[in-house]
Amino acid sequence: MPAPHVDFTYERLPNGLRYILAPDPLAPVVAVNVWYGVGSRHETAGKTGFAHLFEHVMFQGSAHVSKAEHIALVQAAGGTMNGTTWLDRTNYFETMPSHQLELALWLEADRMATLLEALSQENLDNQREVVKNEKRWSYDNQPYGLWSHKLQAHLFPEDHPYHHPTIGSMEDLDAASLEDVSAFFRTHYAPNNAVVSVVGDFDPVEARAMIARLFGPIAAAPAPPPLPDMSLPLSLGGESREEVVDRVPLARVYVGFRAPTFGDPRLHALEIAGQILSGGKGSRLHRRLVREERIAQDAAFFVMGFVGGASIAAGWATVRPGVDVARVEAAYLEELDRIAREPVTGDELARARALVETEAVGALQRVEDRADQLSMYATLFDDPERINRELAAYLAVTAEDIRAVCAETFPADHRTVITYLPAPGGPADDEGAVDGGAVDRGADAGTEEAA
Amino acid sequence: MSGEHLATRPTPGTPRAYEFPPFEKTRLANGAELRVVELPGRPLVSVVVAIRRGAADEPPDLAGVSSLAARALSEGTERHDAIGLVEASERLGAELHASAGWDVTSAGVEVLADRLAPAVALLAEMLRTPTFPAHEVERLRDQRMNEVLQAYADPRRRAGIAFDEAIYTEASAYRRLLGGSRVTVPALDPDSLRARHAAWMDPSSTTIVVGGDLAGVDVRGIMEPLFGTAIAAEAGAPPLAVIAASAVDTPTVRIVHRPGAVQTEVRVGHVGLRRRIADFHAVSVMSAILGGLFGSRLNMRLREEKGYTYGAHAGFDLRVHPGPFSASAAVDTDNTVPAVADLLGELRRMRESDVTADELRAAKDYLIGVFPLRFETPGPVVGALAGLATNGLPDDELARYRPGIEAVTVADVRRAAEEHIHADRLAIVLIGDADRIEADVAAAGFGDLEVLRDDAPAG
Repeated sequence: MPAPHVDFTYERLPNGLRYILAPDPLAPVVAVNVWYGVGSRHETAGKTGFAHLFEHVMFQGSAHVSKAEHIALVQAAGGTMNGTTWLDRTNYFETMPSHQLELALWLEADRMATLLEALSQENLDNQREVVKNEKRWSYDNQPYGLWSHKLQAHLFPEDHPYHHPTIGSMEDLDAASLEDVSAFFRTHYAPNNAVVSVVGDFDPVEARAMIARLFGPIAAAPAPPPLPDMSLPLSLGGESREEVVDRVPLARVYVGFRAPTFGDPRLHALEIAGQILSGGKGSRLHRRLVREERIAQDAAFFVMGFVGGASIAAGWATVRPGVDVARVEAAYLEELDRIAREPVTGDELARARALVETEAVGALQRVEDRADQLSMYATLFDDPERINRELAAYLAVTAEDIRAVCAETFPADHRTVITYLPAPGGPADDEGAVDGGAVDRGADAGTEEAA
Repeated sequence: MSGEHLATRPTPGTPRAYEFPPFEKTRLANGAELRVVELPGRPLVSVVVAIRRGAADEPPDLAGVSSLAARALSEGTERHDAIGLVEASERLGAELHASAGWDVTSAGVEVLADRLAPAVALLAEMLRTPTFPAHEVERLRDQRMNEVLQAYADPRRRAGIAFDEAIYTEASAYRRLLGGSRVTVPALDPDSLRARHAAWMDPSSTTIVVGGDLAGVDVRGIMEPLFGTAIAAEAGAPPLAVIAASAVDTPTVRIVHRPGAVQTEVRVGHVGLRRRIADFHAVSVMSAILGGLFGSRLNMRLREEKGYTYGAHAGFDLRVHPGPFSASAAVDTDNTVPAVADLLGELRRMRESDVTADELRAAKDYLIGVFPLRFETPGPVVGALAGLATNGLPDDELARYRPGIEAVTVADVRRAAEEHIHADRLAIVLIGDADRIEADVAAAGFGDLEVLRDDAPAG
């Protein structure tokens, strides 16, 4: 099966806006996707969570669109939309019936040009409360909910832009002011810091004219101030550990490492390692911890790619009740050690490649996913053609590449280990008696030390 | 500012014609139905085998047997052990899946078209010749026991469990945990799984759906030898008398205490509707206005006006038998009572007054316009065609969807709300910190109050 190929043009308006057009008439659907080169790494001390709060404000109206009307117009046109914020970037996207392309472009242009004209204290206050409830819902009120925040804090030094979570702190959210919103908009939300991708059923000549007409008159802004040097060694300089006693029924061990940056070919090899370690029931961690030794309820390993300094490679194993947490951690780390020492087998690599190939086709099926990838590669690398080279890059990974990147990434002094332990008296506290021929009984299910 | 050029709103172009993809329906030699939908340009083919026997007709003392049997299908076959089976499918870049729902048990695979035949052979092997090894069944049982503990610790899943227990009678199948409880799961042995599997091997209850770019692929030729042969089927357990009876005849409130919770998970509703109803389109529009759209009444009130929540929703879970109707939101603890009051107010308003012409237009335009977006890729098309079979709906149901929505009037929406939202028998379930909310909830007088402290799963 030949790899799917995305044909597109990559152009630039005089004000610096980059745009990508990728026509595909298969379905009567068109996707618009705007990436801004701003994320939580651009936040400064005392203003954590701001990039994401700002993303919410982007749906509160602009000069020609009233509060909540953006979403109402898209939905009434039969479209879907959302926005997301992450460490490196913020994106906004609409998927529309193809005859509604101009509406989506106009809505994006209007907020890029005129957001501050509609800004009000009332709307900011409202969205601040919504975001605080999003934080409670996604993190604070969830079992194990803060693991990713803890991982970031351990893996990146306090003054590093990846140290704090994108959702921010309640204190900083409370402190966000209208002046902060205005300054953030003026600094980061300008055509020269954005990429617009259009994918699907449209005429490129018409779309090009629409983009020139709607976005062309928007003034460029001075380039945002450069970020500090974010480069980091893979080593943390020593293992870092934390124990958390929480209202969780099963203990869970999280491990994390700094990994090569997104765009570094070594990260492709690490992602294939992730597939071999934890992708499905035949994977090494699942096979050993869940199936054979039966010491874990589940096991995972994955990579989160970032462009500044280091990515995150992380995973977890959920400890079966009555099992020694230390044993699960040791078995998990042994598997990381093994893949860093011995090359994976030819069959493991072949299976991983076959799955990656299917995934690559799946990831390009929908116009909105294609648009997101094109915007991503243009924003982060100024190179949207990467969309057509990625599959080959994965398929070119060798067993030695995998071993080598794992050996670089997984040494003991590179890792952080965060262990969640059930609070004493919880529902799983008396679980030692459940079946369990293959189970070692641990003594430390009620360890009390919390960070 | 630089926005003068944006003062004129764009007008939409001409909509491109859209038809739900036509499909071809035949029967294999043993009577199983085959539905094939050709989707040019979609090389990732989706295959689903849907068997119209789900967890709803399990014997109560074996609750969870369908789910556990579905999970255990891939634990070994007459030809492969579990690892051999997964490795064989991975070499094809394919992942086999199987799961039991309330009304249907499904197994399937997504695979590139040129590997369809060997992937479907593995699917048939898994579905038709599982061995249910005792050692693996024991492990899956243990995992399920732990999963129940985890569900009780997660406020969203806990809310779903508490809500189903509040609205359905003790005898109703839909009241139970789909995957089985800590009381029933220990009894599920390989023999009970085999019996459940035997009941699935009934061609007259089986629909196979294949969708994708199938140019040059002889789908029937692939399926007939794999799925068309007779297999020893056993009669299933007799259907339960009670699947979805309402337990609520007067408003009730149940707080499940979650010490220190910073939010309260709110669920409000009652036993709702089956999928096969005459006013499906009116119910769809009404639900969208109440709690489906971003601009729905609930979301606008609780999120965009009050900031109580990240999102408020409502809708009907339409099943073969009446599934739940619920309105839901996670609200910060201190605003629990005002949020519930607002939510109840919106349910009442839906019944007591007409929606505006603008609300009706927006909801209809959304449902009609988003329909082709939902079916861009094979997976959802195949899933929808399997769903027609599960619910006994006619072949042209999806083709008639958009005209059906377009025909809905303001009066239809009002009637749907009056007939299907029952303000007099709402169950209100709150997963939150009882120490902080109980007194205010009691004072608010929403209904008879019950507080569950020391929450833990039975068994």
